[in-house]
Amino acid sequence: MKEQHSIPTGKVERASKFVSTGLKIGGNYVKHYTKKILDPERDNSELHADNAEDIYATLSNLKGSALKVAQMLSMDKGMLPQAYVDKFSLAQYSAPPLSSPLVINTFMKTLGKTPQAMYDSFELQATNAASIGQVHKATKDGKKLAVKIQYPGVANSVSSDLKLVKPFAIRLVGLKEVEMDKYFDEIETKLLEETDYELEVRRSIELTTQCAHIPNLAFPVYYPEWSSSRIITMDWLEGLHLKEFLQTNPSKEIRNQIGQALWDFYDYQIHQLRKVHADPHPGNFLMRENGTLAIFDFGCIKEIPNGFYENYFALTDRSIYNDEKRVKEIYTELEMIHAEDSEKDVIFFSDLFKQMIDMLTLPFTQETFDFSNETYFNDIYAYMDYVSNLKEVKNSKVARGSRHSLYVNRTYFGLYSILSQLKAEVKTKREFSC
Amino acid sequence: MEKYIIRDTYVQFNLEHGREPHSVYELAKLLNESEEAFYTHYASLKAVEKDVWLSKFQETLEQLHNDPVYAGYSSREKLLAFYFLWIQNLLKLRSFILQRKKGFSFRDLRADNLSTLRVAFHDYVNGLLREGEASNEVKERKYISDKYVHGFWIQLLFVLNYWIEDESSEFEQTDAAIEKAVNLSFKLVSENTFDTLLDFGKFVFQSKR
Repeated sequence: MKEQHSIPTGKVERASKFVSTGLKIGGNYVKHYTKKILDPERDNSELHADNAEDIYATLSNLKGSALKVAQMLSMDKGMLPQAYVDKFSLAQYSAPPLSSPLVINTFMKTLGKTPQAMYDSFELQATNAASIGQVHKATKDGKKLAVKIQYPGVANSVSSDLKLVKPFAIRLVGLKEVEMDKYFDEIETKLLEETDYELEVRRSIELTTQCAHIPNLAFPVYYPEWSSSRIITMDWLEGLHLKEFLQTNPSKEIRNQIGQALWDFYDYQIHQLRKVHADPHPGNFLMRENGTLAIFDFGCIKEIPNGFYENYFALTDRSIYNDEKRVKEIYTELEMIHAEDSEKDVIFFSDLFKQMIDMLTLPFTQETFDFSNETYFNDIYAYMDYVSNLKEVKNSKVARGSRHSLYVNRTYFGLYSILSQLKAEVKTKREFSC
Repeated sequence: MEKYIIRDTYVQFNLEHGREPHSVYELAKLLNESEEAFYTHYASLKAVEKDVWLSKFQETLEQLHNDPVYAGYSSREKLLAFYFLWIQNLLKLRSFILQRKKGFSFRDLRADNLSTLRVAFHDYVNGLLREGEASNEVKERKYISDKYVHGFWIQLLFVLNYWIEDESSEFEQTDAAIEKAVNLSFKLVSENTFDTLLDFGKFVFQSKR
């Protein structure tokens, strides 16, 4: 493809700093994320803005459907550095909101009634546009409701959009196409699930019931009778997004309380339910001054297979490192090292992963962990930087990390990122029973 | 005998036999009517065919006018609402229309079967455009304004063709196609870069003299 070659090599190198979790574990993605955790401002934003510009320009040449690709990319905000997101978000905003007749048509088609007939009041003007739909305000029996409506044709375009992005991802990450397939598979499955609103309602109800006992959390009530394959009706939640919330100067206690609620929510899901809300981007959380946290949007749920869970978390137990054979087994299971790796590679990567995991799982091993601790994130960042510059890592063409690690890592990075911005101190200790 | 009974029977005959009736006689027999009675309503089978299309269109407009929300829409929204409802109504005729696809091309701008529909649609769109001009939604351009309707007729054929070929669930791709096509067309007929360019060109030309 001509377009691929038109990215100057120098820029490819620069752009290669944009990588996604698991695409090359131990690679640049982690670096980006840790960098972002550390301090969003410190991102080498100029460089990224530059790269984003290039990629954006190239994308627009690609098929004249830059918008769709860009939309897809910005759909998964957690995976991209801020500059890319901003650039791509621009493209997203230029997608015009659904017209009122289409909103009504969607209601007629999937629920057989006009919104005016279903609710006491319904605002035809959307209040927010999300990546694959838009949100309208409504009321019914004195209750404030949020009604999410999906753009038509989103599900159909997922696969083709991914195909468009694929050559870029391969180019940027520097992996072979076959190696990328498993990750693309995973992403495609998740994106398709997100377009299935009936599934989302079922899962939301299930998950919110299961997590109802966790203190200081608030979930919307979902209304399956007013929802369909393209429409979700839920309670309208009050609260502020992370950035706005921080501007109100919440006290340390309140921040800790919210941080704890967030941590408990994820801890319970990952270790008890083994199903996790894998979309911890700030837009899905609303914080209130009384120290409670409202959570919504359960479109992206990662179910963690038992085998993966056991191997992944076995590594948080430091004593395991005495058993070298077991550790090697786990690394192989997690696809971090491969059967065809040379003895030297095995030793090299095992060592690398050990240090990395030690650092990233540090919060688990302590009673409480202070996420405002900048040195911690600094250390991670410095180490990741070091790792990504090692020639062994640069030259490795095989993917390291199982497909499941993609969304699990993303969840943890998102969680750490929010907690660090919140500067919360959280009780993190837990006993693993593996 | 009501006209709609003739239309329904005609469509039914097509569906069941996979072909048009060979003669008025054949259809009239099914209707238990004499040929003379048929001719008091329609002059030919072709006329029935045309009226099948036209009546669905008129039915749609009637439904729209009975909806209080419709009156509050802008011209663009009215046209969108029309397409969504029209396509919804055509669903009852989908098999019949798919059969027709082989008989004549929907790409044919002057398709005979759609000729009465075309006249009625032109009227409807002209109304919307006048309304749009009054609300500044549509830009009046000398010599060109009168031709807008032809563009909209092409749009209608596009939507119809798209829907015929659409295989997505609940025809949601057609919804997207309608939304995008109508947004585009109203962008084109509203005041846009073209007018600014024209204005600029005119200025440069005049100030040279």
